[in-house]
Amino acid sequence: MTELFYEDVEPGDRLPELTVTVDETQMFFFSAATYNGHRIHYDKEWARGKEGYDDVLVQGPLQAALLARAITDWIGGRGRLVTYSVQNRGVAFPGQPLTFGGTVTAKHIDGGRALVDLDIAGRRDADILMPGTATVELPRRQAVS
Amino acid sequence: MTESLIDPETAARVGTVAATATGEVIRRDWQRWAAAVGDDNRLWFDPDYARANGYRDVICPPLYLQYAILGVSPLSGLRPDGSSGAVSGSLAFPKAPRRMAGGESTTFHLPAYHRDEIEMVRTISAVVEKEGRSGRFVLVTWHTVYRNQHGELVAEASTSMIARP
Repeated sequence: MTELFYEDVEPGDRLPELTVTVDETQMFFFSAATYNGHRIHYDKEWARGKEGYDDVLVQGPLQAALLARAITDWIGGRGRLVTYSVQNRGVAFPGQPLTFGGTVTAKHIDGGRALVDLDIAGRRDADILMPGTATVELPRRQAVS
Repeated sequence: MTESLIDPETAARVGTVAATATGEVIRRDWQRWAAAVGDDNRLWFDPDYARANGYRDVICPPLYLQYAILGVSPLSGLRPDGSSGAVSGSLAFPKAPRRMAGGESTTFHLPAYHRDEIEMVRTISAVVEKEGRSGRFVLVTWHTVYRNQHGELVAEASTSMIARP
């Protein structure tokens, strides 16, 4: 992985996109890993009959984790996720390709820390399912004297 | 006037602690979570790589921290929809039973390591009824603080949930 430095990033830069088609096996393992018993993620009769959806729903926290993965993959080992904020706006069903990415909106030095602000989103085609913002700290190319 | 979706007992809990929990951060558990996400970041898996990047060992993925404190839910105590309600303080909305996560906003202050003991304190910030495009709903927001065994602030979060009739 190439190291990403603060100096390399400018507002308008876009993160490499991550596209994932979540299936029911991944959903099962994610519910298990998060101790989530909510039927809406595995009981199709419940999801359709009781809650009125077309199918079981991909977990919002799984979408959030995939969106965070797009960020932490981009910032590399010396970058740090400082703030992370997302809203669940739309539901996703298994089998749908979902795309996770973001755009640099600002960069600033704050208390000696080199911070980069991002607009981020999880999408299904043009539909924004999970909009949000994040701030990451990146290493600087030269140490400040 | 239409009847409120929020019971007085629930409204009275705003500002109070909804839940506290403690739990150990376990490397195998966060690695299972990362595998379920398809997240093979070496900071979560490779101690040499983590050390080369300034950590003393592999670190817990930031978004996993919220699960490290989950306790044990007897299945007999689950809600009909299968959720436990434990970390949200078992807020009840009999008139708005369809629940959905709203959003989360977290600031991460420090990394968490294997066997760190995390204490979570979650306070109910607000419970408000709103009118949306698809009708009335209840918006609940919590503020949550996570500290480690040294009393250091590891992360703090605002979380919301939507409950619909």
